[in-house]
Amino acid sequence: MLKVRLVREAQGANRPNGNLSEPPGIQGSSMAVLRMVKATKRYRGAADESDTVALNGFTYSFSEGEFVALVGRSGCGKTTLLNLAGAMDFPSSGEVWIHEQLTGDLDDAGLTRLRREKIGFIFQFFQLLPTLSAVENVELPLLLSGASHPRKRAMECLEWVEMGALAGRMPHQLSGGQMQRVAIARALVHDPKLLLADEPTGNLDTATGDVVLRLLRRAATEQGAAVLMATHSAESAAVADTVIRLRDGVIEDVGYPACTR
Amino acid sequence: MHALKLFERVIARPLIREPARSALTLAAIALGVAVVIAIDLAGYAAAGSFRSSMETLTGKAAFEIAGVGGVKEDVLAKLTSLPLPLRFDARVEEYVRDVKSGATVPLIGVDLVARAQRGMVLGEDASLSILDTANAAWVGNDLGLRAGDPLQIVVQDRLETLRVAGVFADTGEAHGPNRAIVVDLPVAQRLTHRAGLLDRIEVSVPESPLARQGETSIRQAMEAVLPPGVELREAGANMEANRKMLGAFRWNLRILSGIALVVGAFLIYNTISVSVVRRRAEIGVLRALGLTRAGAQSLFLAEAAAFGLTGGALGAVLGLLMAQAAVGVLAATVNALYVSSTPAPVVLGVGHIAASVALGTAVSLVAALAPAREAGGIAPVEAMARGRRDYDVQISASRFALAGLALILLGAALCWLPPVNGRPLFGYLATLLLIPGTALLVPAFVKALHRATRRRICSLLGVEAMLASRSLAGSLRRTSVLVGALATAVAMMASVGIMVGSFRDTVMLWMDTQLTADLYLRAAAPAPPGASPLMDASVADAIEALPVVEAVDRFRTVPIQIGGLPASFGFGESRLMLPQGRTHFLPGENREAILRKLPTGPFVIVSEPFSRKHSVGAGDTLSLPLPGGAMNVAVLGVYSDYSSERGTVYGDRHVFGSRFPQRAVTNIAVTLKPGIRLGEGARAVEKVIAGKQVLLVENRALREHAIRIFDQTFAITWALEGVAIFVAVMGMAGALVALVIDRRRELSLLCFLGASKRQVRALVYYEAALLGLISNAVGLALGLALAFILIYVINRQSFGWTFQFHWPGWLLAGAVTLIYLATLASAWFPARTAARLNPIEVIHEE
Repeated sequence: MLKVRLVREAQGANRPNGNLSEPPGIQGSSMAVLRMVKATKRYRGAADESDTVALNGFTYSFSEGEFVALVGRSGCGKTTLLNLAGAMDFPSSGEVWIHEQLTGDLDDAGLTRLRREKIGFIFQFFQLLPTLSAVENVELPLLLSGASHPRKRAMECLEWVEMGALAGRMPHQLSGGQMQRVAIARALVHDPKLLLADEPTGNLDTATGDVVLRLLRRAATEQGAAVLMATHSAESAAVADTVIRLRDGVIEDVGYPACTR
Repeated sequence: MHALKLFERVIARPLIREPARSALTLAAIALGVAVVIAIDLAGYAAAGSFRSSMETLTGKAAFEIAGVGGVKEDVLAKLTSLPLPLRFDARVEEYVRDVKSGATVPLIGVDLVARAQRGMVLGEDASLSILDTANAAWVGNDLGLRAGDPLQIVVQDRLETLRVAGVFADTGEAHGPNRAIVVDLPVAQRLTHRAGLLDRIEVSVPESPLARQGETSIRQAMEAVLPPGVELREAGANMEANRKMLGAFRWNLRILSGIALVVGAFLIYNTISVSVVRRRAEIGVLRALGLTRAGAQSLFLAEAAAFGLTGGALGAVLGLLMAQAAVGVLAATVNALYVSSTPAPVVLGVGHIAASVALGTAVSLVAALAPAREAGGIAPVEAMARGRRDYDVQISASRFALAGLALILLGAALCWLPPVNGRPLFGYLATLLLIPGTALLVPAFVKALHRATRRRICSLLGVEAMLASRSLAGSLRRTSVLVGALATAVAMMASVGIMVGSFRDTVMLWMDTQLTADLYLRAAAPAPPGASPLMDASVADAIEALPVVEAVDRFRTVPIQIGGLPASFGFGESRLMLPQGRTHFLPGENREAILRKLPTGPFVIVSEPFSRKHSVGAGDTLSLPLPGGAMNVAVLGVYSDYSSERGTVYGDRHVFGSRFPQRAVTNIAVTLKPGIRLGEGARAVEKVIAGKQVLLVENRALREHAIRIFDQTFAITWALEGVAIFVAVMGMAGALVALVIDRRRELSLLCFLGASKRQVRALVYYEAALLGLISNAVGLALGLALAFILIYVINRQSFGWTFQFHWPGWLLAGAVTLIYLATLASAWFPARTAARLNPIEVIHEE
């Protein structure tokens, strides 16, 4: 029980939405990589339908090195949350702070810069560019941001995911697990503070999925990135520090698997 | 019914959802078809009308009797006295200018009395009593005159006034405006200074079994009374030869107009390929649900047919508009080079609409065959596959390259074969083989280029260029088709540019050698190509007597027929050619020796087109048809000449002039004494020709006029090239839109990875830039090869002349830059589409 309390304190006194008396920023949680304050996302419905609320007043603060799993049924708002967290979309209301920058204040160029520097994405279907080799895929974010010596850093990341030997291979020459490891290396190549993973094991067998989860865990612990992973799998979620269960766009429950282990 | 529903759901709906891309494909095929239809319609209108001009009042004659310099009237008397059931119609023909309208009209002299006796009266208001009046004329109703009106015409070098006796309507045989002037035979002879001479005698054989059986004996009987130099030939042989030449001209234009359609075919192929690739999963589902292999194929063939039918129908309408714009230019060329004619109205018939739709559909279906077959090969299991399958089906670049090389070698081999019936069919075939042959080499070329640049491109041009280059190399089939389309258009532009540029330069150089005199004179009356109106020789004598004049060349040209082909025989002061002219002879021939020998006897030199058409060269003997009978002449040499594709035989005036009954000339070239200024000389000559209908042209003006005709001849060619390039660039825009739609996942992913909108836009622009670069490079290489075929095979075999190869650097650089900029501009809409993609929607769709 003590362990639970310590973890919760370390995470900046997060509460399920509605229970927060004031925004985390005002609470002075300067270590938060991502803060979402009453973030709501509505999608306009068709003429004869009402609007769909994909995320409803979500409030949470994600800290450096924290591995959070988002679970819930399809349509519960996991992906919407990842999009808001990744500065790919704006909330209909509420606030999203990434490294103390309010996304609503940024223009397209600012958002792009934020993604380039602070955020890494991992997808269920790997999303490697088929015309680029493994190492070229990994160095792509660095090339897009104009960083110097991208190849060296890309190779380091590939080595980190134990794919250095296959750096020259094209995606179609790699297995699913290998492709996802390359995708993780790509997501980490620019040292992001926030790693967003959408069903990263959804397309992999159990053993390969475990390898990927271990890498994500290492990213959180060794590189200090906040990892936010959407998953359907309870087994995958169990690896995380925190499990946020979403239902109809609101937090249903927050659990801490580490405390129960 | 079910098939229609399936078509609507699987094919039509997606096409409607992408209106820009569908419209671009449709426009490409419509334009391709329109150009072909326009050239045919305009060609028909421009050339078709010439039948009506000099053929007015020609009956259904079986034979005609004609001779160089005319046929003496007593020949007609001998013929009519033959105990044969034949009818003879004598004619005198000349082109004149109607002063009021400025139009060139045929003046036809016929025996009106004989015609009246046979009941062939010209017009309802015609009265034969008018024959008592000198200068009575019947005019075609399109001249806008009425009986009793005066009619002023320029005949040869004189102004004459006739009186309209009657107006006759269209005879029904005519295809163009009815503007002929018909006068009685003696009036025509007087007006044209051909007293006692006829131009032609038409011979009609009445329908009877006897006549049919005895055709040979009838011919023999007539030939027995014909004097030397007068020949009996099939009726309309001259016109037929002209038609053949005009046919070749139209055939060349047709081939050129087909290029836009070939480019359109490339683009249809690309459109259907994209359709197939994009709907692989859907087709997989349909196959799993019971759609047969043939059914899947039919769906995509139906898509192509829909494009073809709609594009073809639109093409017909567009073709009509283009034809109306082109007919004037085309008619001017036909008039300058082939026959005197007035353009007829452009009429779009049901046949043309049907042809247009059939052409569009056929080209689309042929282009869609390969992608449709691929659709048929989609297995039901593909429905189960998640994720996007790449557009590109792996193609073997080396296998394609081998096939391409084989086609190119075959094309090269065909260039050595002779023409078929005077048409360079193997040359055309070689051109047609070279285009797909080069297209097949493109995958290997792109791969090699990619390999050579892959390490450097990122550091040189940035990550966007690197991604664009990878995308192109990764989608070899799509890239190859697009490069094929644009390169074909660029190649045709380059090859025609090189050919026309070379031809133009050669003609300019040739004019330097030919036009050495200071002033040139000719009768003001119009003349059909290959002939010139006569001028009184006394004009030349008077000019020669002027103190400012150094020398006068009296030149006369007469149309002749040799071996059934029209040609020209010209004779002038050949002694002047030695010091003044710089006439070029074919390599190996001694110019000075030839020109020294030419005035000394029955010797001639022949032009290069004549030499090629009749296989005659130095040392050969030629039977030259002259008044009074054929004359055997020795050919001393072959000279370069670009004035007529008919070919010219040239001899000395003092040797051949005496064979012609009239002492007349067609052209006078005046060389002024050294130190005499051009203006001073021109004024002195003007005084001599005052009151005469003679045109005086300075050397420079004559050159400018010749170049103007030259440029006008090729104006339509440039327009065709322009349309082909427009179609290709439009196709490029459509293909880039398709490319953006196909690669929206990758483009969206880049946004997730930190790419800005500007970078996404830049990527699309780089793809267009690289495609343009490769297309221009391939197009220029192909264009160079095609130019060699055009210059050394097609032109030589079609027209018989050789010209020096000239690389019109500035023109090509300008055109290629323009095309390149157009290609870049075509990426504007696709780039905007790419930048507006919603990455979240796209990534989660997958």
